[in-house]
Amino acid sequence: MKIRTAALLITLLSPALLFAAAPQEAAATEGVIADIAGKFGVTWPTLIAQIVNFILVAAVLYKFAVKPIAATLEERQQKIAEGLQYAEEMKAQLAQAERERAEKVKEAAAQAQRILSESREQSKEMIEQKTQEAAAQAESIIRKASEATELERQKMLSEVRQEVARLVVATTGKVLSRDLSDSEKATFSEAAAKELASSQN
Amino acid sequence: MKRDKQISQLAKKLVVLSKDSEGIITGSTVDQVLSGLKQVQPRRYLTLLKCYLEHVRREIALQTAEVSAPSALSEEALKAIEQHYSTIYGRSIRARSITEESLIAGVRVRIGDDLYDASIAGQLSRLAHQVN
Repeated sequence: MKIRTAALLITLLSPALLFAAAPQEAAATEGVIADIAGKFGVTWPTLIAQIVNFILVAAVLYKFAVKPIAATLEERQQKIAEGLQYAEEMKAQLAQAERERAEKVKEAAAQAQRILSESREQSKEMIEQKTQEAAAQAESIIRKASEATELERQKMLSEVRQEVARLVVATTGKVLSRDLSDSEKATFSEAAAKELASSQN
Repeated sequence: MKRDKQISQLAKKLVVLSKDSEGIITGSTVDQVLSGLKQVQPRRYLTLLKCYLEHVRREIALQTAEVSAPSALSEEALKAIEQHYSTIYGRSIRARSITEESLIAGVRVRIGDDLYDASIAGQLSRLAHQVN
């Protein structure tokens, strides 16, 4: 920034320096210059006033235009440099994040694989356990059904036995009542009465 | 409640008075007791009479052997039953013959709540019960 400022001053002040740096030559060629100056209408007071005027304008421009512009440019360049540095840092962070993401993805994939494997094993064990439970339950149901069938069969047999006994007793009673004569009944009754009378209780 | 108990005890005493020398309730002794009660006319006369009737019925049932048979039994068989159960129960028991043709053959004797069954119908019933 300072180099640029110096170059600008040299460019602006080069005519004045040219005139100030060669007094001997000016003295030698004073006559020629004065002659030429006269031809072109250049007079020393006017020239000096213009030089002073130029210096003042240059100073004012440097103070209020060049210096803020240079500061702005320097600030902008600093910002650009910071931006570039920030971009580099971001790039590095992005690469780091990408690596971390890749590692995490890899780790997550491994974990998912492990969880999947465990889930498969658990599901396999659960299926086996449920199968055993279902088999036991089916066996229990079959056993209960068999028991119920057996109970039903026993009940039916008992009912049949009761019915047969009832029919046999009823038939026997009717047959005896019909076939026994009154004398036989009386004889049996007398014998039963004597048996009761001779019993111990 | 206490009065009912007193009436019941009085009715029991009247039942004892209604028995003859052999310990049997007869119509004449009951008539004597009732005539005595009629003369005295105790308090709650009707309640006492009901209680007395109940106790007399119970006592008669305990003194009576209801002998059921499809046909009438001989006097000899009834006497034998009376003698046998009088010996067993320790009191005089009289037999009352009842004709019950559903017994088919044999006899059934009921004394109070006790039952002695020697009938064919009873044997068949017990047989059916055993088979069941």
